[in-house]
Amino acid sequence: MVKFFQHTFAYDHPWENVSYAFWLRYPNPFASHVLCADVIDRSINDDGVLTTTRLVLKQGKLPKWFPQQFIKTSEAYVIEESLVDPKTMRMVTRTRNLNHVRIMQVEETQTITPHPVNPDMTTVKTEARIISKFGWGMAQRIEMFGESNFSKNAVKAREGMKHILQMIREKRLRERMGFMQPQTA
Amino acid sequence: MSSSIGSECTDLKQKYDTCFNKWYSEKFLKGDTTPECEDLFKDYKACVMVALKEKQIDTLLADARKESPFPPPSSSSNSEA
Repeated sequence: MVKFFQHTFAYDHPWENVSYAFWLRYPNPFASHVLCADVIDRSINDDGVLTTTRLVLKQGKLPKWFPQQFIKTSEAYVIEESLVDPKTMRMVTRTRNLNHVRIMQVEETQTITPHPVNPDMTTVKTEARIISKFGWGMAQRIEMFGESNFSKNAVKAREGMKHILQMIREKRLRERMGFMQPQTA
Repeated sequence: MSSSIGSECTDLKQKYDTCFNKWYSEKFLKGDTTPECEDLFKDYKACVMVALKEKQIDTLLADARKESPFPPPSSSSNSEA
């Protein structure tokens, strides 16, 4: 069994800011489970597309009913691969966990593009696949847990992005205000 | 700014991140795709690679990266570096 999840959300911020916020999003008050994030590789190809690989370490959460003896550590390594094309204004990110994959593998793809109608808004399309290969008749229960947890985490992730987006907006506003202030000699 | 997996790399990471964030928002998104911050990245990455080896996640990461991340979802099929 596999669980699929699809969701589209629009931020009330332009694409440039949302794509920038993606890099700034850790730490934020809604992501205390993120322990660290590192850039492993980054390059720009001839078309001007930026490719990045990041490794993120997260503090995982297990349901109380899960037999703890199967888990050595609750920390989860997540690989995050992304493409940014500033010309077409398209950013695609794909994340998946590297360890605990037999218990549960979560693969998430996000496509970030300008809103088709309002250019001051940005659309983020999320597609996820949750699969458990765990035995003991628990795979389905784990996938259901993964699915409900994924939805909850998606809400928190959006709150985190909004927090960073607000900071970017305020910074831009302050910069503009600074330019408008009368020069005193 | 988030910390690095190797605590000894956090300082290098933050220097690199500061450079990258400025470049990304002020140049890259505005169409200037000439790379910058590469020396800072080299130092930072060298530090992280040692930390990954120490934590024995270097092979796990290398195996995961063999799989091509963006086959169909990317519309520009020849954009892979």
